[in-house]
Amino acid sequence: MTDNSPLLGVNGLTIRGGGRTLVDDLSLAIGRGERLGLIGESGSGKSLTALAIAGLLPTGLRAEGSLKLDGMQVIGARERDLRSLRGRASSTVFQEPLTALDPLMKLGRQLAEPLRRRAQRDGERMSRDTLLRVIHSSLTDVALPDPDRIANSYPHEVSGGQRQRVALAMALATNPLLLIADEPTTALDVTVQGEILDLLARVVAERQMALLFISHDLAVVSRVVDHVVVLKDGVAVERGPIAELLRSPEHEYTRSLVAGARAFDDALGRIS
Amino acid sequence: MTAVVALEAITTATRRRRSWTLVVGLVLFGLVLATAIVSLFWLPYDPADTAGSRLEPPSLAHWAGTDRLGRDLATQLMIGARIALAVGIGSVAIGAVIGITLGLVAAFAGRVLDDGVSAFLDILIAFPTLLLAMLIVAAQGASLWSAVLAIGLAMSAIIARLTRILAKRILALDYITASRTSGTGMWGIIWQHLLPNVWPTILVNLALQFGLSVIAEASLSYLGLGAPPPNSSWGRMLKEAEGTVLTAPIGAIAPGIAIVILVLGLNLIADGLRDIGDPLRRVSARAVPAPTTEGPR
Repeated sequence: MTDNSPLLGVNGLTIRGGGRTLVDDLSLAIGRGERLGLIGESGSGKSLTALAIAGLLPTGLRAEGSLKLDGMQVIGARERDLRSLRGRASSTVFQEPLTALDPLMKLGRQLAEPLRRRAQRDGERMSRDTLLRVIHSSLTDVALPDPDRIANSYPHEVSGGQRQRVALAMALATNPLLLIADEPTTALDVTVQGEILDLLARVVAERQMALLFISHDLAVVSRVVDHVVVLKDGVAVERGPIAELLRSPEHEYTRSLVAGARAFDDALGRIS
Repeated sequence: MTAVVALEAITTATRRRRSWTLVVGLVLFGLVLATAIVSLFWLPYDPADTAGSRLEPPSLAHWAGTDRLGRDLATQLMIGARIALAVGIGSVAIGAVIGITLGLVAAFAGRVLDDGVSAFLDILIAFPTLLLAMLIVAAQGASLWSAVLAIGLAMSAIIARLTRILAKRILALDYITASRTSGTGMWGIIWQHLLPNVWPTILVNLALQFGLSVIAEASLSYLGLGAPPPNSSWGRMLKEAEGTVLTAPIGAIAPGIAIVILVLGLNLIADGLRDIGDPLRRVSARAVPAPTTEGPR
C-alpha cells in the first residue's frame, strides 16, 4: 500500500435496490486521521453508504463502483476477507444506543468480545485479569463514571447517554483506522449530545483515527469534522471545508441546512 | 443431564424472581417425575401379576383398584408416568434439535432456500400428527420409538417456524449489525447473540409442546400406535378401561387425572417461564442501586 492513497476511497458508488437508485455515483475520500461529515436528510442514502463501507448492505441491495478501504476493494469481496477487514480497518457506532446493544448480555461481556478479537488479531494472549483491566480502562476512556458497575449492568439498566458511551467504547475496542459514526447523537437529548460529540472529537484526535460522521444536522457535524459532503436523494450536491460551507453555501439545499442550523443556534443562544 | 441443568437454571430463576405458576407447575411435574423414578426401583406389584380379583375398587392393597384382568392399576400408572415422560423428553429433544437447526438455516439462507424450507414446514404443520404416526408405525412397527419420532418430527416443524421468525427479527436489529461491523463471524453471532435471545421464547414453547406431546402419546397409545404391551401407557389404560367405564370408573379416571396433572404442570411451567423470561426483567445483582449520594438518573 502506498502512503498517498486514501484510507477510504469511494469512487462512483451506486447502490440500487427495488428498481430504485438509492445512492447515485457518490465519490469521497478520507485520509488517515481525517474527519469527514456526510450530511443529508433521512432517506438520502447516508446510512446505506456506511453499511456499504462495512460490506453489510441488506440483501436485495446491490452496490456498484469502487469502494476501497485500507487498500482492499470492498464491493464484491468475499465474506471471509471482509471479516478480517471489519474491526481492524473500520467499525461503526449506530444511532440508537438501546438497539445497538444486546439486551441479554451484560455490558462488560459485550465489550469483551471486540477486545478479545483485537488481542487475537495482534497475537496477544489475554488473561482474564488483563481483560478485566482493559474493560475497565476502555470504559474510563469514554468518560463513564463507575466503570465496574456499568460493566456489570444490562443495557436497560443504564441511561441512554451511558449506553452510547459503551457503544462507542465497543467501536473503539478494535482500534480501527476509521470510525464510522452513524447519527450517534440523534437519539440523545441536547446536553448529552454535546458531551458525546466532545468525547468523540477527543478520542478520535487522541488516537489519530479517521472519522466518517453521518448526520442530518449541520450544527452537530460542524463540531467534529473538517470537511463535509452534502447528500440529497443519493446524490452529492455540495462538498468542501466546513467553515467555507457555512459561510457561503452554494446549493439551495445546503443553504436551507445552514439556515436551519443558524436558527437553532440562535434559539440556543437566547436560552443560555 | 441437560434436564438437570435446565432444572437448576429454573430453580435459580425462581429464587430470584418468584413466579407462583412456575412453582405450582414444578410441583406437579416433580410429582410425576418422582413417580417415574420410583417406578424404576420399586413397584407395588409385578405389572403382569393377575392374582388380584377383577375390577376391584381402590383399597389399601390396590391403591387405584385393579383392571379387568386383575392387574394392579397403581402399578400401571407408575409405569405410565415413566413412558409419558420418556416420550415427552424424547420428542422435545428431537423437536428442539431439528427445529432450531432448521429454523436457523432458513433464517440465514438466501431467498430460494428460505422459501423452500418454509413451504416444507407449512406442509409438515398441516399434516396431521396421527397420520404421520401411522405412516411411521407402518414402516417401523408400533413401538415407543415410533411414537417419539412421530411426535418429535411434528413438533420440530412448529419449533423451526418459530425459530426462523424470531431469528429473522433479531438478525435485523442494530446490535447484530454493530457486532458484525466489528468483525464477528456467523458462528459468533449465532452463539453470542442469536441463541441467547431466541432461547427464552423457544423454551416456553418447548414446555408447551412437552404437554402437547404427552397428550399426543396418550392418543397414539389409545389407538394402539404407541408403546406395545406389556408397557402400560396412560393412553392404553384409558383404552382398556373403555368397556368398563360405567361399572368401574376408576380405571378411566385414574389415568385421566394422571394426564391432567402432568399436562397442567407443564403448561403452568410454560406460563411461569414466560413471566420470568422477559429480558427487560433481567436484573444484574450489582446493578441494584446501592444507597449513594447520587440523585436519580
